[in-house]
Amino acid sequence: MAVYKRGYRRYRGPLTGPWERFMVLPRHAWGRLYQQRLVILLTVLAMVWPVLCAGFIYLTNHAELLQGLDKEFRQFIQVDGRFFSIFMYVQAGFAVFLAALAGPGLIAPDLANNALPLYFSRPLTRWSYALARLIVLVGMLSVVTWIPGLILFGLQVGLAGGWWFWSNWTLGAGMIAGFVLWLLVLSLVAMASSAYVKWRVVAGAVSLAFFFILTGVAEMINNVFRVNWGHVIDPAWAVNQVWCALLGVAPPEGPGAVPSALALAVLMVLLAAVIERRLRPVEIVT
Amino acid sequence: MSASAVVFEEVSKFYGDVLGVNLVTLNIPPGITSLVGPNGSGKTTLMNLMTGLIHPDHGRILMRGISPRDPESLMRITGYATQYDTAPRWATGFTFITTGLRLYGYGRAEAEEKAWKALERLGLTEAATRKVAAYSKGMRQRVRLAQAIAHDPELLVLDEPLNGLDPLVRAETIDLFRAWAAEGKHVILSSHVLQEVDIISDQVVLIANGMIMAEGTIRDVRDEIEEHPSQYFVHCRDASGVAALLFGEDHITEIRLHDDGKGLLVMTRDRERFARALGRIALDGHPIDGVVPADENVDALYEYLIGGE
Repeated sequence: MAVYKRGYRRYRGPLTGPWERFMVLPRHAWGRLYQQRLVILLTVLAMVWPVLCAGFIYLTNHAELLQGLDKEFRQFIQVDGRFFSIFMYVQAGFAVFLAALAGPGLIAPDLANNALPLYFSRPLTRWSYALARLIVLVGMLSVVTWIPGLILFGLQVGLAGGWWFWSNWTLGAGMIAGFVLWLLVLSLVAMASSAYVKWRVVAGAVSLAFFFILTGVAEMINNVFRVNWGHVIDPAWAVNQVWCALLGVAPPEGPGAVPSALALAVLMVLLAAVIERRLRPVEIVT
Repeated sequence: MSASAVVFEEVSKFYGDVLGVNLVTLNIPPGITSLVGPNGSGKTTLMNLMTGLIHPDHGRILMRGISPRDPESLMRITGYATQYDTAPRWATGFTFITTGLRLYGYGRAEAEEKAWKALERLGLTEAATRKVAAYSKGMRQRVRLAQAIAHDPELLVLDEPLNGLDPLVRAETIDLFRAWAAEGKHVILSSHVLQEVDIISDQVVLIANGMIMAEGTIRDVRDEIEEHPSQYFVHCRDASGVAALLFGEDHITEIRLHDDGKGLLVMTRDRERFARALGRIALDGHPIDGVVPADENVDALYEYLIGGE
C-alpha cells in the first residue's frame, strides 16, 4: 500500500538484554519498598540479632576472654549447627513479618488497577511477571536472612581458620538452602494472598494468619486422629524439620525431613497454581 | 495475504460456554479502523486477540505478518491502551512511561527521550512529574495513550481512547490518529460515540453478538445493505414540484417534505436511477440546490445492522 511507504521507520537501535529488562520490575518495587519507614525499621531491627551473634562468634574464638568462665559453659557456647539453627529461627521470624508487610503491595494494586494487560502487552510473560514479583520478596528477605547468615559463617571461618571451614562447610550450605526454602514458602504465601485480597492490610493479615491457621489445623489433626503426621501440613514445622536435617541438629518428634520437604513442595506447587490462576491478562467471565 | 494488514481468518473464541467472537474473518488495511458494537458484542475480545492477551480457540490471526503467539515480536510493533485506569497511582506520568519503555528493552537515556516525546505529543509535559493520582480523568486517558505510543509502534490498539477527553484535546487526539494513519500505521480503536467514529474512521468493523456484521469503508458497507432504501436530502426551492415528479419513479419508496418547503428526504432503492431522475427534473426547470446522502454514516449503519438486534 502506497500510504505505508510514507515515512514510518521501525526502531532499529540497540535494546537492553532480557535480564536487564526482567529486572526493571524488581528494581522499581525495591525502590518503593525501601521508601516505607516500617520496612526500613523492621530491616534494621532484624540486624540486631546478627550483630549479637557476631559478638558471640568473636567471643568463642578468643579463649583469653573466656578464661574466667565455667568450663561447662565454655563447652556449651560453640559455633555449631545449634548456633546456626537458633540464628535462623530468629531471622525467620523477622522474615515472616517483612513478607507480610511487603508482599501485599506487589500484586494487589496491579489487579485493582486492571494493569495486567498493560504488563502483558509488553515483552513480558505471566511467568516472568510472577518471577519478578517473587524476586522482589526473596531479594528483600535475603537481606535479613541468608546474607547476614553467610557473613556470620564467613566471620567464623575467618576467626577459626580454614580447618573449621573444611569440617563445617555443610553448616553454611545447609543454612543457605534452609533459608532459601523458607523464603520461597513465605514469598509464595504473600503473593497468593496479595493476588486474592485487594486491601493491603487484610492481605498482610491473611499471609500471617495462614501460618497460624495451618499450625492449628495440624494440631487438630494430631489430636483428633491421635497421630503425629498432621505436622507436615504446618509449613513452619515442616521447614524446621528440614533445617534440623540440614544443620545436623536433633529434630522434634514427628515425620522426618523427607516427608516434610515433600509436603512443602506440594504446598509450593499449590500456591504457584493459585497465583497462576489469578494472573490472567483479561478477566474471563464464564 | 498482505504483511501490512491485520488479518483474522475464521477466528473463534469462547470463554467456557460463553461466546466471545465467532468465525471472525477480517482484513484490515493500515489507517484508522473503528470497532463498533453494543456492550458485550466482542470488541474488547477482538482487541485482546489482536494483542495476544488471549488466544483463539479456532482460526488464525496475523498482525502485520506477525502472529500474536509470538509476543516478543508482536509487542515491539504494537501499542495497546486499555479502557481502564491502569497507571499506578503512586507513579508520575514520566515514571509510568519510562518504566514501560524499559520493559521494552530501551536503555535509560533512550527511554527518557521517548517518554518526553510521547508526553509532549499528548500535551502532558507540564504534568509529567506529577503523580498520576493527581491527574484529571482526561489526563489519565492521555497518559494511557502516551504509554501506548511511546515506543513508536506501527500498530495501535486503543480501547475507547476518546472517553473523558475535553473537546479541544479530543480534536487534537483525532489529529494525532490521522497523522499516525497517514504514516501508514494501523490505528484500531473502539468507540461508542458514533458521530466521532464517522468523522475519524477510514473503515469500520460492525460487530454484534460476537459476529462481524460488516467491514469496510462506510460507503462500501452502506452499498451492501440492499434491504434498506438509500436516503438523500434534496435541497430545492420547489420541493413539492420535485416530489411530485419523483413519485412517478418506481424505485422511490418514500418522500418526506421539509417543513420549510425547501427540501425533501427521498428514499430510493436504486441510487443510479435516482441520480438520473434528478438530472432530468433539473433540466425540466426545477432547480436542485444540492443532494446529500442522509444515511451514509455509522449511525445509520448501526441502526440498520445492529439496531434491530
